[in-house]
Amino acid sequence: MRSGTAAGHEGYYHEAALYGSDDEFLSVVVPFLEDGLAAGEPTLAAFAPHNEALVRGALPGGGRGITFLAGSEQYRNPATSIKRYRDTVARHVAEGAAQVRITGDVPHPGTGTPWDWWARYEAAANHAFADLPLWGLCPYDTRTAPAAVLADVERTHPHLATPGGARHANSAYEDPVTFLAGHEPAFADPVEGQNPDVALGAPTAQSARRAVAEAGARTRLSRGEIDDLVLAVSEVVSNGIRHGVPPVELRLWTAPDRVVVTVTDRGKGPGDPLAGLVPARPDSAEGGLGLWIAHQLCSYVTLHRSGTGTFTVRLVAGQPSAPLVSGQRG
Amino acid sequence: MDGVRRLSLHDHVCWVYEDIADVRKRIVDFLADGLALGQRVCYVTESAAPPGELPRLLDGLGGVDDALREGALQIQSLAHRYTGFTGVGPADQVAAYAAATREALAAGYTGFRVAAEATGLVREPEQRASFARYEHLVDRYMTREPFAALCAYDRRVLGPEATAQIACMHPMSSPDAAPFRLHAVRDAAFAVDGELDRAGQALFAGALAGADPEPAGGELLVDATGLHFIDHRSLLQLAELAERRRATLTLRTALRSVPRLIDILGLTSIRAELTS
Repeated sequence: MRSGTAAGHEGYYHEAALYGSDDEFLSVVVPFLEDGLAAGEPTLAAFAPHNEALVRGALPGGGRGITFLAGSEQYRNPATSIKRYRDTVARHVAEGAAQVRITGDVPHPGTGTPWDWWARYEAAANHAFADLPLWGLCPYDTRTAPAAVLADVERTHPHLATPGGARHANSAYEDPVTFLAGHEPAFADPVEGQNPDVALGAPTAQSARRAVAEAGARTRLSRGEIDDLVLAVSEVVSNGIRHGVPPVELRLWTAPDRVVVTVTDRGKGPGDPLAGLVPARPDSAEGGLGLWIAHQLCSYVTLHRSGTGTFTVRLVAGQPSAPLVSGQRG
Repeated sequence: MDGVRRLSLHDHVCWVYEDIADVRKRIVDFLADGLALGQRVCYVTESAAPPGELPRLLDGLGGVDDALREGALQIQSLAHRYTGFTGVGPADQVAAYAAATREALAAGYTGFRVAAEATGLVREPEQRASFARYEHLVDRYMTREPFAALCAYDRRVLGPEATAQIACMHPMSSPDAAPFRLHAVRDAAFAVDGELDRAGQALFAGALAGADPEPAGGELLVDATGLHFIDHRSLLQLAELAERRRATLTLRTALRSVPRLIDILGLTSIRAELTS
């Protein structure tokens, strides 16, 4: 039997809370955690350091009994976050848990991270965790989160909690497939305003790898970061050749602390709105696991479908530029 | 590789050519090195010239008639050397070369070396599958015994895909003959060099089938120290091989992306042994 508001709910109970002060944050999060512990449910928190300190200070014994995860590690990228949470919850369920509670700080431009792929994460989570008895509470700080982020949060969470303790269904919630289909990232890295360092028409995966390795060597990126980008670009170019519509085009820009690569073809991109965030079915006609792997190897990935009928994957290695206002069309 | 000079007693080279005159110059170089190393050398030719004129094809070698008379040099037509090749099977052909190597050693030579124009043996797809197995078995033999070979194939006749099928089963090949090379080594089930990606996926499947490695104590060690790239599909092909053979496959590699991929894909039948 699941405890709290999620009692009687089947599958994922996905809830957002908007707060404007530390006290408001604690007024939502502390009861969520305490009630989980009291019910004997596995209770996890993945916060940035400031919020973790607040929570530990407000809980008896510094939050003993709660599993604290480092937010920066848990939320390194959306695909890894989904995989880790799925694995964790599934393990607890196998051990007999009726419900698992998780709360954490999803990154956004207010915390120095570009938003678009986390918007997709928040929508995709409704599908990716649909079969799990998970209560996920996503607190967002209205002092730091841009308005465009808060608008996406409202559209991607079926349930809302408010600092006074009220909880209700969210009438602004959109079906994730609808949300994702209309989601067109506004993101472009400032270096893309310059001429690309490399432009390849009809690259092979091999020529793309060469170009990325050579360009990466001219930056401050580590060998590991460059190797990861080489692999990600190779996978995405292979997908473009195999599943896209020619011509495939690769463009690459470098800055001292990052490499930005776009791979464009004339196709529509994968039909699955969750593509990249969860592993594709092995029999998928649209490609296997390459895009999902790329999402875990890069520091930022965006997918773009243009009105003129092109599909572009943007891959960033190193420190992605995080514009404070990241918008969304629609 | 750019040429075939200064190879050892054991080397196994594939040369894909479009110019028979050019490849025959390389064959002369290769055989001359063998003679200098004290090996008995054998030239297997597809030339349609009458037998009496075949020695002239090796004019650049010098002392051809003496070497033929002494037995240091043999010249055979392809049809003679590989009589009934498709009928006798890859292992029998390896046994024939092992016998020739033993004879050469018994006659006081340091080993045996053959340069073969072999296009005619692999014109048909089923011939190539059998030949891939033969190339790997003979490659294993060469890692142990003083037998060296240069196998020459005409790209104009076979096409790039067919020549790649053969070239990828050699430890060394002419430039751009194959994106990777799967070959025998003494301290591992096999080695793979070069780059493995989507474009070479079918080629790699054929190469793995040709090698058909036997696990030792439930383990398959793959020397990938010469591998410069592997994508997730190729890694899955290796994992499938391990699962099919009920073995754990260890990939010895310097590629940091290999353990990353193993972790992301949650593969349990394969592990990375990272070299510096």
